[in-house]
Amino acid sequence: MIILVILLILDIFFGSVSISASEVIRAIFTHTNSSFETIIMRFRLPKALTALTVGVALSLSGLQMQTIFRNPMAGPYVLGISSGASLGVAFVILGFSSGINGDSINALGNWILVVASWAGAGAIMILIMIISSKVKDIMTLLIIGIMLSSGIGAVVTILQYFSNETMLKAYVIWTMGSLGNLTEGQLTILLISVSAGVIMSILSTKILNALLLGENYARSIGLNVRFARGAIFSCTSILAGSVTAFCGPIGFIGIAVPHIVRIIFKTSDHRLLIPGTILMGGAVMLISDIISQLPGSENVLPINAVTSLIGIPVVIWVILRNRKFSGSF
Amino acid sequence: MKENSEEILSLDSLSIGYYSGKTENVLLPPLSAKANSGELIAVIGRNGIGKSTLLRTLAGLQQPLGGEIYYNKRNLINYSRMQLAKEVGYISTEIIKVSNMRVYELVALGRFPHTNWIGKIEFNDHKAIMDALEKTSMGSFCDKFVSELSDGERQKVMIARILAQDTGLMLMDEPTAFLDVAGRYEVLHLMRKLSGESQKTIIFSTHDLQMAISQSDKIWLVLDNRLFEGAPEDLMLEGAFNHLFNSSTVIFNSGDGTFSFRNESRGNIFVEGEGNKKYWTESAINRAGFTVSEVKTFPYVTTPSESNNYWRLSTHTGMLEFSTIYEMISYLGKK
Repeated sequence: MIILVILLILDIFFGSVSISASEVIRAIFTHTNSSFETIIMRFRLPKALTALTVGVALSLSGLQMQTIFRNPMAGPYVLGISSGASLGVAFVILGFSSGINGDSINALGNWILVVASWAGAGAIMILIMIISSKVKDIMTLLIIGIMLSSGIGAVVTILQYFSNETMLKAYVIWTMGSLGNLTEGQLTILLISVSAGVIMSILSTKILNALLLGENYARSIGLNVRFARGAIFSCTSILAGSVTAFCGPIGFIGIAVPHIVRIIFKTSDHRLLIPGTILMGGAVMLISDIISQLPGSENVLPINAVTSLIGIPVVIWVILRNRKFSGSF
Repeated sequence: MKENSEEILSLDSLSIGYYSGKTENVLLPPLSAKANSGELIAVIGRNGIGKSTLLRTLAGLQQPLGGEIYYNKRNLINYSRMQLAKEVGYISTEIIKVSNMRVYELVALGRFPHTNWIGKIEFNDHKAIMDALEKTSMGSFCDKFVSELSDGERQKVMIARILAQDTGLMLMDEPTAFLDVAGRYEVLHLMRKLSGESQKTIIFSTHDLQMAISQSDKIWLVLDNRLFEGAPEDLMLEGAFNHLFNSSTVIFNSGDGTFSFRNESRGNIFVEGEGNKKYWTESAINRAGFTVSEVKTFPYVTTPSESNNYWRLSTHTGMLEFSTIYEMISYLGKK
């Protein structure tokens, strides 16, 4: 918790304009009206908050997916949930709201964007669930996830082909993934949806624990599996969908963080895993954001590149480990 | 009958199976049976006859196609899933593979129907979990990971889990299937102990007929067209088991509950001797395809005795001596 606060402040501290630590503290807690304050309050604080929220949301949705699919490779990005969300976004940006661009979407537009994103994510979730009930093999499911992502990519390309230049530009910028481009309204919506998702996750702790045993056992100890699935699906779609709607598809955080937490806590009990994932997800994303600022230089790396470089080694490690204990997660 | 034994489960013309599309696939015709508290009941039947489906239906995991199931004289359909979870525990043949799950956590999941919204383990839950681990003599495994257990240990932990669930009835689908001989007897002994001491009713399916006959209070013998219910000895005397083995190659001996192969006899041999030596010599002669005859005629075998260290095979033409059964059987095999 303390580490998280330190990371949050560190994240605010680093940026392309160097600001001294005392200035940062002063800007947060007092009104100086200096240009530093503007930079911090208008740009860096929202960005750091976004990073925190995104990390929490993606990691939690990854944890839930891994448990409900009983599959260590499940995550919003690899199984195509993020792609599903981006399809929803593509429909909104490229399809319906002609004449708007990324900067001038109004409050209603933001909500439409986020709901479309939820719907896209949810639809892919259900599709994956149907497939995974027929295909038990982890690697097969992973390949199907990749295929789904590519298929959605193709649909998006077709949409792009038929859309005009302004809309295309808005969409392409969105797909690059960014933590810093959110308007105040968008940040509010993101915070509200993710908070709702976090509360739902905490409420579903017991359900997730039961689902570790698989559907039949979960039912035999008294779980209403259909209800449980619906609850967790909507929760995951809200978490992954909201993030994707505003920040673009951000890869590998959702799959990697739950594994890091499992390694540290050495437990499968979600009463520990959920808080652990919330803290770790926030921390990893803040670290990624700090790295992407390239402290000391004026350049900024795309956030997606950083998260991939952090997440992919973890994923490879999990795959290699799985060959030994085949099928366990 | 045991004291305090009361009816815990009854099946009233229950028919089970599954739907594929809109057509009903009835696996078993209407079955009626009963189970009292504290009974160990073995479900016997051929592969694919529907034993697993029967157990799944009893556990409420699958809809019956017809008929009624009563727990404690109350119809299954009147139970909510949570209420049912307090009455019936279930172990399938599915192996739980979760890394980083400790034995304690797995057993603690048995408390699911008893804990609050987040699954907090209160003092009495902890007590029930430790109790279950003690009863299954897995207390020292508490902090081990489930993935590190042997097959037998894992099965005992699964049993501890439904003990912690604190249900009157336990359903187990082939609890001894993956186990070696020692593990099989350990698990069966545990089940025997639980049904006797803790008055749990245990219904389990098995393919080990001899084990079922020697240990269970009751057998549900599932056949294509009906279910025989009764003490193993009753069914034995009724000749019910013969229905299982209508094949031309296996014979069930209702005298001692053993099997033998229906081979064409290669001739009669009488065995002269006593005790173990006579028993195993006869067994070897049977295996070699001969029938052990009741009267002493040629050829006959004399087993080793105080004055003689050899198996002697006497025929019309003379006598041969063998220092082991193996040598004798090899000779008989070539003949």
